Amino acid sequence: MKTLRFNTGLLLAGFGLLASGVALQAEDDYLSDEDLFEEEIGETAEVSDPLEPINRYIFEFNDFVYSNLVQPLADGYQAVTPDVVEESASNFFDNLKYPVRLAGNLLQGKLEGAWVETGRFVINTGYTLGFHPVADEFEMFHPVPSEDIGQALGSWGIGEGPYLVLPLLGPSNLRDFGGYIGDRAVNPLEEPFSLIDDWDWEVQAALTVTEFTVRSPSLMDRYEQLKGSSIDPYGALKNGYTQFRRAAIEE
Amino acid sequence: MKLLPSLLFAALTCLVPLLHGDEAEAERLTAVIAGAVEAIYGEDCVDHPSEDKQARVRAVIEEEYDLNVIIRRAIGRKWRLMKPEEQVQVLELVKQLVVKTYVRGMDGKGRPLVEVGKVVTVSEKRIEIPSVVTLEDQTIHVLYRLGKMKTGWQIYDIVAEDISVVSNYRQQIDDHFRKGTGAELIDKLEELLAKDTLDEDTKI
Repeated sequence: MKTLRFNTGLLLAGFGLLASGVALQAEDDYLSDEDLFEEEIGETAEVSDPLEPINRYIFEFNDFVYSNLVQPLADGYQAVTPDVVEESASNFFDNLKYPVRLAGNLLQGKLEGAWVETGRFVINTGYTLGFHPVADEFEMFHPVPSEDIGQALGSWGIGEGPYLVLPLLGPSNLRDFGGYIGDRAVNPLEEPFSLIDDWDWEVQAALTVTEFTVRSPSLMDRYEQLKGSSIDPYGALKNGYTQFRRAAIEE
Repeated sequence: MKLLPSLLFAALTCLVPLLHGDEAEAERLTAVIAGAVEAIYGEDCVDHPSEDKQARVRAVIEEEYDLNVIIRRAIGRKWRLMKPEEQVQVLELVKQLVVKTYVRGMDGKGRPLVEVGKVVTVSEKRIEIPSVVTLEDQTIHVLYRLGKMKTGWQIYDIVAEDISVVSNYRQQIDDHFRKGTGAELIDKLEELLAKDTLDEDTKI
């Protein structure tokens, strides 16, 4: 009996020690306030913005245009257009951006991406003129992340340069603005580098306006969400754009 | 003699939550998301005013998670630049703003489908839970970052389409405190919430 009592006592003492050890270790098992609240956040890397006063001015101008012209346009378009037509029109214009995505992939040496984009373009155009993404039904042609020339320039190690807010077009940076010009150059449907010489400017303008109208509900929806939840919409858009582009380039 | 099995049982019981903690967190998050969606789209809620929905959504979230954690992280070191009463006020106003924007962003749209993925363990104290939200014709990838705190696993960041909500707010807060004060931040937040209400009234 004595032995038993001794063993039980020892066991209890052992558990006591274990428990106190666990308690001490427990402090290290949790994130402290300092760990979590004062930690530097990688994504909040500095964004070079030497043109901030000018950028803010253009941002205000864009905001006025978006709120007073684009938003009513988006509301009107959504009101008169059935969802299925909206979706089809959006698919159609996405399909037309194929040359940009192809160039973006090729310039980064992403041959598989280029192959998938080409397959999707051929299938979607062949079956439905691009109005419906039928290629989604083919496993080998499932969508890949969208690429453009700005991303290619980033993947080559070219820095962002200063942050820019472009009139009507919105947030960008020097590198992405260069990429945007490149995107237009490889797109046979867009000026100033259109390959279709005999295309009337009226047709070009109509295409651009239609595309803008089709995209406006989705763009305005995101813009209004961001603006509505922001303490400083300018800073929110600058940070959001930069995070998004950096992630796209990293991919 | 009965003491040993009892102690062993107690020790093993303590281990069970550790073994299944990750899965439990995914389930907990799924339940909160489902509850928040139900608070907006549920049959008994769908026609309620936005304020009711906001209150319900907030209650569902706060029952499980401490919203102060994510907001404190967004404020970062600038927290110390505010007086204690300003800190309390800022926490409350940011909560109102975020919940309001979330509810208004969903209002009038089709019910979203949310798929919660498997937990990714980043470290012993940090996990990530990916999810995919399908809202009408949009597919949005949302990543929840959770940290192990004394109060349990808490959401400390939400990354939607590669954009970290915390990083986004921290940029705005840092910019504000370059020239502004805590009191001015409160004014700005109150103005924003009031303007929001005005917009809603105008639409009605």
